[in-house]
Amino acid sequence: MKKFTIILFALLIGAGSLLAQEEKKKDKPVRAPFESGILIDNQTVIVPTKKTLEFVIEHRFGEIKDHKDLWGIYAASNIRLALNYSLLDNLMIGLGTTKDQKLQDFRAKYIVFEQTRENTIPVGVAFYGNMAIDGREKDVFGKDYKFSNRFSYYAALIISRKISYGISVQVAPTFSHINKVQKEYEHDKIGIAFSGRARISPQSSITLQWNQPLEIEGIYEHHEPALKPKANIGIGWEISTSTHVFQMFVSSGRALVPQYNMMHNTNDFFDGGIMFGFNITRLWSF
Amino acid sequence: MKKSSITLIAGFAFLMMSFGLPEGDKTPWEIPDEYKNMENPYKGDKGLDRIGKMLYAKNCKSCHGNKGEADGPRAKQIDVPMFDLSSEDFQAAYNDGEIYYMSIIGRDEMPNFESKIPDDEDRWAVVNYIRSLKK
Repeated sequence: MKKFTIILFALLIGAGSLLAQEEKKKDKPVRAPFESGILIDNQTVIVPTKKTLEFVIEHRFGEIKDHKDLWGIYAASNIRLALNYSLLDNLMIGLGTTKDQKLQDFRAKYIVFEQTRENTIPVGVAFYGNMAIDGREKDVFGKDYKFSNRFSYYAALIISRKISYGISVQVAPTFSHINKVQKEYEHDKIGIAFSGRARISPQSSITLQWNQPLEIEGIYEHHEPALKPKANIGIGWEISTSTHVFQMFVSSGRALVPQYNMMHNTNDFFDGGIMFGFNITRLWSF
Repeated sequence: MKKSSITLIAGFAFLMMSFGLPEGDKTPWEIPDEYKNMENPYKGDKGLDRIGKMLYAKNCKSCHGNKGEADGPRAKQIDVPMFDLSSEDFQAAYNDGEIYYMSIIGRDEMPNFESKIPDDEDRWAVVNYIRSLKK
């Protein structure tokens, strides 16, 4: 299985490079299908141009319950601060730190190929992967503690399509893995992440996401898993300037490292499990 | 008492001087011939109108304002004097290549947009949009 995955990615990357070389002269890539490399909780097919440093602030307030905590604004929040750097026009690496579970994450995103204006390449494809380290006290991990208990991983193959000037969508099959989980919980989860944006003015868009963990009985470790995670759904508003992107939204996933939403989200978007959140990105070119 | 009077006078003098400081850099743009002689390959391309408007809104509007009248929300924080892009004076004084240079290459507080607007077609779309601001 591992070999097959490696071969698949190698083929995709190779095919992408060939296609890009052949088509570059004839047909240019579409203009920004998304405004930023992040859309609510999902990665997009965007990588800022080479030698760009990106600072990311992600913030999720507490659940919207009642006015006593100002609909979650005063409640305990989750925050992630991160830096990404574009080594190439199609390759970005990054690291971040998150309040919940003191997660330290490392990530990379590679644009395999871009959708072109004349449709010679009808979709954009990017590969995204991360690895996170849970930084809490080792007592949390129980008996027989090993450092590798702290590790978790996420991979997504992002396929995007800019449908028109204002509308872009993407779908990403995802794979999540957490090394150490509670008894009766699953270690792996396959999911599918949908994202979209509809431009409503030259600078702003309505944004959407629906990240659905898939219940595939064939890959269950347990007869009946103790936790079947809920979809992480979000809807919001995005404003972009030349160097900043601001995203404000309501969503149902509290985690800021995606594998934890795909594997452990218990908030039901349609049953009050939502919270306010925002993302801010800032770019510097060198 | 004497000391406080001197301080007061010095403070007043400084205040008066600050009103008399030159109001930013008014030196003319030094535009290389390469840009002065540049032809706009997308002149009159209506297909770029929406792109030019979008890029202007994203990159230029905060200083230059909605209509290019140098009245954007950040305009007051800019030290150097800004052109009224919609004025006859500006529109007549510079050709498309010169506007391209000033908009994309920039100088001082007018930032360089080469990495933010990497595609040449998009850069000319901005020039075309600036042309469309003419009153």
